[in-house]
Amino acid sequence: MSIVQVLFYFMGLITLASALTVAISKNLVRSIFMFFITLFALAVLYVLALADFVAVTQIVIYVGGILVLILFAFMLSGKEALAAAQLQSNRFISLSNLPALLLALLFLVVMINVIFKADVSNLQWIKEANGVKNVIGSNESMINNIGINLMTRYLLPFEAISVLLMVALVGAAHLSRREGTRI
Amino acid sequence: MNFYITYFIIAAGLFAFVGIFTLFGVYAERKISAFIQNRLGPTETGKFGSLQTLADIVKLLQKELIIPAAADKVLFMMAPGIIFIAVYLGFAALPWAPGLVPSHINIGLYYVFAIISIETLGILMAGWGSNNKYSILGAMRSAAQIISYEIPAGFAIISAVMIAQTLNLQDIAMQQGILSAEKTKFLGLWDVSATGGILAWNVFQAPHLLIAFVIYFIASLAESNRAPFDIPEAESELVAGFHTEFTGPQFALVFLAEYSMMFLVSMVGVVLFLGAWNTPLPNIGSVTLATWTTGTIWGIIWMLIKTLLLVGVQMWIRWTLPRLRVDQLMNLCWKVLTPLAFACMLISGVWRLWVM
Repeated sequence: MSIVQVLFYFMGLITLASALTVAISKNLVRSIFMFFITLFALAVLYVLALADFVAVTQIVIYVGGILVLILFAFMLSGKEALAAAQLQSNRFISLSNLPALLLALLFLVVMINVIFKADVSNLQWIKEANGVKNVIGSNESMINNIGINLMTRYLLPFEAISVLLMVALVGAAHLSRREGTRI
Repeated sequence: MNFYITYFIIAAGLFAFVGIFTLFGVYAERKISAFIQNRLGPTETGKFGSLQTLADIVKLLQKELIIPAAADKVLFMMAPGIIFIAVYLGFAALPWAPGLVPSHINIGLYYVFAIISIETLGILMAGWGSNNKYSILGAMRSAAQIISYEIPAGFAIISAVMIAQTLNLQDIAMQQGILSAEKTKFLGLWDVSATGGILAWNVFQAPHLLIAFVIYFIASLAESNRAPFDIPEAESELVAGFHTEFTGPQFALVFLAEYSMMFLVSMVGVVLFLGAWNTPLPNIGSVTLATWTTGTIWGIIWMLIKTLLLVGVQMWIRWTLPRLRVDQLMNLCWKVLTPLAFACMLISGVWRLWVM
């Protein structure tokens, strides 16, 4: 087994284990920090899949932004609210868990189906791309490719997202404005 | 297998460098602060007090590790490690000299930017784990400050990247001297590809980057929690902010992180704006100063000199300016620095299209 494979399985294990801990742990703040480990291990998996840009973006957005925001919300809500959340009964098998359990099981069935039906080793489109040499090697720059694609082929979705973000920003600015001081 | 051993040696070397820099950084800081405040600073231990920080480190390592009874022990113990490792990982992508870079990755700058943001998480962890009002207030202030100041810093960096057209720090460094493959133009007018020196630095290739550099420098002060932006650890109101409860080796790690962060942000600033490892001396006719002073050893020397000068400016600022209030801090960030950084980015685009 090559060192890349070893790393892949090791990181996969860490991802799964930490994700499970996030879901099971009763201490909410600790599970947030475990989530950080999950995200980091996922970033390593992205690197192993030659998607280094996605990996770094994952760290910037999720670790540097979203996790910190979640923690902020926790710290502002105070210890009492967190303690109340911890008191909830958390038995694994109970009637109230039935919908979630059903959903999870169905999702598992779908995932397993996908994995078994996909036949990853000889996919049609990968073969075609290999045939016409339309592949990116591990030593090439990925960001130029991403930039060109964003500005040509995916320009409309890109602009739509930027408009959406702009709307969110304007909305946030409006909400945080003090009442009565309208200019 | 051999190159894995090289990786470990490089990592250990960087760690040793960070440690030594912190030792001398603390000593320099104390001496500079003493000079500014008309005192003597450490004088007793060693010649001119030069062994003072070494003695301090020995004292810190001997201290007992105290975990407060109400603290969340796991988070409390892990926090200083995460804070330090986040900063230390950033050094992996920074170039030291032509051909000398620990990791030659083509998204180096973006990587450094990302890995630094993990520090925020470590600080929040320390604040929450300590279970102490002052710590949590300090941690929240720190997180708010770092997140806000990442925006002007990011846009200042982008305006430099738009000029350089790459995220690879070694390539950005290469473009600012006589080794450049592209044409370099002083102020966009005068071709200085063969002259090099200070004329080919990014700030002089595109003069608006001078403003971008100042924005980046101010934002980097805030990101490394240095005065005048040190409200997260404001002694007069918060005891010591998020590291109130830490003692001994833990406190040493927090300190190590702060000083390596100072060096790291200065080094990124030097690479992006001040010519990286390129010499400031230009070629003048047959006196080819730039050609003589470009090389591996020279690269390291120039890099160190420039970075240490910036670190010196950081210390100078810390001991001259009073601390900003929270609202002043946010006003400066959102109403002054961010619009200016946007303007810089816009000018960069125009500059790249029509001038370069």
